[in-house]
Amino acid sequence: MQRAAASSRVEVSRRVALKAIGAGIGAAAALPWLSDAGLLAFARVQETNGPPQLKVLSPPQFEALEVLVEAIIPADDRSPGAKQARVADYVDLLLSENDRELTLQWIGGLAALDAEAMLRFHAPFSRLGADHVDAILQSISHNEKAPRTALEAFFVMAKEATIRGYYTSATGIHEELRYKGNQFLREFVGCETEDGRDCPHCGQKHLQP
Amino acid sequence: MQDDPTLNVNLTRALGESRRLADSIKPGSDRWDVIVVGSGAAGGMAAFQLAMAGVKVLLLEAGRMIDVRTEYRTMEWPYASNRRGRLPPGERPIAVAEYSFLDRPYGSNPAFKKHTKVLSYAGNQFTRNWVVDERQHPTTGTPYSWVRARILGGKTNFWGRGALRYGPLQFGAASRDGFDVDWPISYDDVKPYYDKVDVLLGCSGTNEGLIQVPDGVFQRPSKLNCVEVAFKRAIAKMGRHYIPGRAGVTTDGVLNNKYRARCAGRGRCGRGCDIQAAFHSPTALIYPARDSGNVTVRPYSIVSEVLLGEASNRASGVRVIDANTNEVLDFKAPVVVLGAGTLDTTRILLNSRSTWHPSGLGNSSGLLGCYLSEHLMGIRGSGYIPARIGTETTLDDGRPVSPYIPRFRNLTDRHPDFIRGYHFQGGGGCAEYPTMAHEIAGYGKAFKSSVRRHYPALISFGGFGEVLPRKENRVTLDAAIKDAWGIPVLRFDYKFGDNEQKMARDMADSIEEMLAAAHAEDIKIEREPLPPGWSIHEIGTARMGDDPRTSVTDRFCRLHDAKNVYIADAAPFVCGGTQNTTWSILALAWRTIDFLKERLRAGDA
Repeated sequence: MQRAAASSRVEVSRRVALKAIGAGIGAAAALPWLSDAGLLAFARVQETNGPPQLKVLSPPQFEALEVLVEAIIPADDRSPGAKQARVADYVDLLLSENDRELTLQWIGGLAALDAEAMLRFHAPFSRLGADHVDAILQSISHNEKAPRTALEAFFVMAKEATIRGYYTSATGIHEELRYKGNQFLREFVGCETEDGRDCPHCGQKHLQP
Repeated sequence: MQDDPTLNVNLTRALGESRRLADSIKPGSDRWDVIVVGSGAAGGMAAFQLAMAGVKVLLLEAGRMIDVRTEYRTMEWPYASNRRGRLPPGERPIAVAEYSFLDRPYGSNPAFKKHTKVLSYAGNQFTRNWVVDERQHPTTGTPYSWVRARILGGKTNFWGRGALRYGPLQFGAASRDGFDVDWPISYDDVKPYYDKVDVLLGCSGTNEGLIQVPDGVFQRPSKLNCVEVAFKRAIAKMGRHYIPGRAGVTTDGVLNNKYRARCAGRGRCGRGCDIQAAFHSPTALIYPARDSGNVTVRPYSIVSEVLLGEASNRASGVRVIDANTNEVLDFKAPVVVLGAGTLDTTRILLNSRSTWHPSGLGNSSGLLGCYLSEHLMGIRGSGYIPARIGTETTLDDGRPVSPYIPRFRNLTDRHPDFIRGYHFQGGGGCAEYPTMAHEIAGYGKAFKSSVRRHYPALISFGGFGEVLPRKENRVTLDAAIKDAWGIPVLRFDYKFGDNEQKMARDMADSIEEMLAAAHAEDIKIEREPLPPGWSIHEIGTARMGDDPRTSVTDRFCRLHDAKNVYIADAAPFVCGGTQNTTWSILALAWRTIDFLKERLRAGDA
């Protein structure tokens, strides 16, 4: 992971980085940057890969949730999926700080998912093979815009949370999206047609005024 | 609650300094020439200009001091906390829909019963220690999303940085369409001050020669990125401009300010810029003013009213209620400058009741509190620019503001449905968070890949429309409800009118038309306005004019009723165009203080 290596750079303090910028050092643009607090939290949440410390969900519920979020945003050639991005941990924390009602919706949804799995494939959701998981998601994702059944509604809720959790994770931001911002720049480049050149990034040609 | 470093900002230094200052500065502990109320753009500029001229200033801030070294968490990643930006349990901002559907005061609504702190919509993990708790600061009347920050620097700590000038179309608006009145001053009166503000504070932009938004003394602009250039070329064919946003951010550096560095292109300025490239009143104005030795800052100083002296038309000072101790402190000075923000300044004046001024100081005309105006927001449009779908990620957001589509209605033509106009702000390309993911159907690898493909191609815009200044849009003091310090609160009577409704329809149609011209895919248009107040661009409740019967202040923002009371914020503004308000506050405040300095020099303040 591109930024995981940054933990060894904890000692790159804000002050040092600012000094570098103040001195106009070009290389500063390449400085990897996290706040001290951000680095520590990042190191803890993203790198330990320790076992989850569950607050609300039971281990079987958590296991089913991990399968579900990974099915919504799976690992592929480009980047890991929602499971490795610890989206299930995020949901567990979210539930611990919200109304009991929300927790019941999630637990109810996971139970309904298990019931569906038992009915169709005679095994709990977390034990299903990829094909069977996909078959279930196929059927519950039909009416995203206007869900009609409890499971369809649960899918929408789980997908919203998975998107939020995944694309705010280090995995989602750096590995999947390869977001390039939040860096010290000497100057923002933008589209080079704005500087009167053909742009190598987008291929748009400079137009003579 | 999990230990969360993103919530445990160390405020020890700021709180200690605040208490020390509040304990040591008391009436009579020093002599001041001018009391300045508020430390945001208005109070900051007033204090700075006075201090540089050698005038002794007492600057009163209702909130605490700020620690700019720890409180601006500019580069914090969302994964710094597994909360991912949500507030901790017990704190929550008011949601959009709640502004219209919940009864006022919002904070005492049963919906928030289990919360210890209720914030305006602007409350988030970065601003939660700055914006006020609605419980302590109620409002009544019609729905209004009033954002207030009680902290040194006020809302400039997280403002949107849009730094646009009013031009001839604003100062002379009535002459063009016959509605209401012109400002008593012209663009030529204010232009030199806009220029000076640009130079003092740094303003990024490009000279375009457009009458609807005059040029300035600009630093390196926030350039358009690739997806935006595609859009620009498409709407150029319609005769519309799409130009780099103008930002109150120094991209080339400013002279004579040791607290500020130039912009390093990281984005996220709205959390507070930790290298102070963005204009924030504390480092740009107040610290340098304090360094002159001429400014005393007293935090925790809630001004409840302006005190009158022996004459009916002269103030003697202000009454302060200490935010912590509730101690009542009457500070005296020969001149009072109010810069508490349009609505709080108005509230202070309305509450300054005496036998001479039974309905509030400055209210002889009966117009104090009337003509509340701001900008209509919420009309938005988005779509994907085809040429950018499926391209690799580029660095698209390393700049302080998005580009800007200047007003194009009622410039030379006359729209049949409405007067005045609107502009759009917005842009596109790769951002930290792919909002479009929530719009893409499905799941699994196909979904993930679709998000990735559409990520660089999204472009979206939000409109800002002029709300006509109308007398019936007003605030008054509520007779029954008081804030946590016993000061009567504001009662809003404010609604969007027919002109705004028609303008909103045209805004939605025109952004749709422009996105279509750019052959955008999956165009989405939001046609419903956001609740009143959303723009945080409130102006007008103590309007300026030459006739004391029809205005509250004179053309130098001095009360007709009290010759030593000035207003430095946007309360005297007559109308607000479509432009973001801060840069005009700074320019007008400077102009007002130049006038005051002349009066002081002449011994006639």
